[in-house]
Amino acid sequence: MAEHVILFTGPMGAGKTTAIESLSEIEVVRTEANNSERHIADKPTTTVALDYGEILIGAEEKVRLYGIPGQKRFDFMWAILKKRAKGMILLVNSDAPDPIEEMLSFIEEFRELYDRGGVVIGVSRADVVAGPTLGDYSDALERTNPDMVIPVFTVDPRNRDQMENVLLALIANIEMRAMFGMMTTEAV
Amino acid sequence: MAVEVNQVAGEPASVSMGFPVTVGWTHAAMAVYSVLRLNTPVNLKMHIEMHSPLLIDFRHHAFSWSTPLEIFPVDAVHTGLETEPTSDAAPPLFELPGQDLDGLLWEMGINSFGGAPAYWLPPDERYRLTRWPNLTQHRHTMQQMQMMAVLGNTFVSTSELAKLTGADESDAQRLINALSLMRILTRTSAAPAAVVVAPTAATKRQSLFGRLRKRLGR
Ligand SMILES: Nc1nc2c(ncn2[C@@H]2O[C@H](COP(=O)(O)OP(=O)(O)OP(=O)(O)O)[C@@H](O)[C@H]2O)c(=O)[nH]1
Ligand SMILES: [Mg+2]
Repeated sequence: MAEHVILFTGPMGAGKTTAIESLSEIEVVRTEANNSERHIADKPTTTVALDYGEILIGAEEKVRLYGIPGQKRFDFMWAILKKRAKGMILLVNSDAPDPIEEMLSFIEEFRELYDRGGVVIGVSRADVVAGPTLGDYSDALERTNPDMVIPVFTVDPRNRDQMENVLLALIANIEMRAMFGMMTTEAV
Repeated sequence: MAVEVNQVAGEPASVSMGFPVTVGWTHAAMAVYSVLRLNTPVNLKMHIEMHSPLLIDFRHHAFSWSTPLEIFPVDAVHTGLETEPTSDAAPPLFELPGQDLDGLLWEMGINSFGGAPAYWLPPDERYRLTRWPNLTQHRHTMQQMQMMAVLGNTFVSTSELAKLTGADESDAQRLINALSLMRILTRTSAAPAAVVVAPTAATKRQSLFGRLRKRLGR
């Protein structure tokens, strides 16, 4: 069976678990535990292992959705996942103390995925706090990789239609990049 | 600054400026394009039949209109357009935050020029995105999304863009017009990076995008 692994990364409370629940066709395997870091994200529970959801495409193919825990002390799991992943949806909550810094630290952590063009940024909780503009995020990304245009969207992870759009934009970008990525760097 | 409020009543003004006769959103798009290039702040008011006036405050990249963009009136009859010089210190044209101007520029760009090139675009150029529009906030088709994925990764002309994605050339042009109005395109007149070939039925089948899109009923 053909499988495509998509990672959901980002800081605590960005909406990774929520996003997977919006997209998955199966009951999401959640691993929530009581949140001992209420000062970082004020919510009762936090993911401690991996969230898991699926979208089946026909009988022979599926998209596997994995959500990592946002808490930094679980980062030993990231190494295995980034090797297997086709792409990553990096969610950043607009109401984090420094969302752009958060985004850049995850970009650095998942640099290999980023360098092959497999990343889309979703800015969540923009309805809670306006936060930096999308232009601010794009400017920061441009400094880390001037040749690449990473899609940055506002998104409400509770909204399935928006999450489907983010996922499809990620896949479209990965496929087009595979087709053109080499060419544009050579042509300059 | 001593610039007077300027009342432009539909078409004659643009004719005298040497532009082809335009109607509706094409005229509006040209006005917006011009104002966006001014060095002094100017507010715009558009009068549209059967709708309340559409107000644009460029200083705040915002607009105010009682008609929701979800029911954007493609064939609306524009009856007048006012430019109103303002200053950085002057109060906003309407109560902020208003709505994000990008949403209006997107609709306006897609629905003007009748699928022909926007008048400010010289022929024989190739385009690339400098950043993606905020797609979760704009009505868009899957084909437009795919075209943007092309534009995010390489320079292409309008006809190459159409060929690569199987889109009508006029639809590709409408997208280019909109992205250009939103000022998120860069242009080059250089030769193409490589020969553009239309995807075959086989490569389309191989595309996960195509299969997932179908699966999600889009
Ligand atoms: N208002 C609003 N609430 C949101 C948005 N995105 C997520 N939430 C809420 O924020 C809370 C946190 O979401 P989670 O899905 O638990 O976040 P997470 O990224 O999985 O967090 P960790 O597992 O702790 O790393 C949930 O209650 C969501 O409903 C948004 O865009 N707007
Ligand atoms: Mg979680």
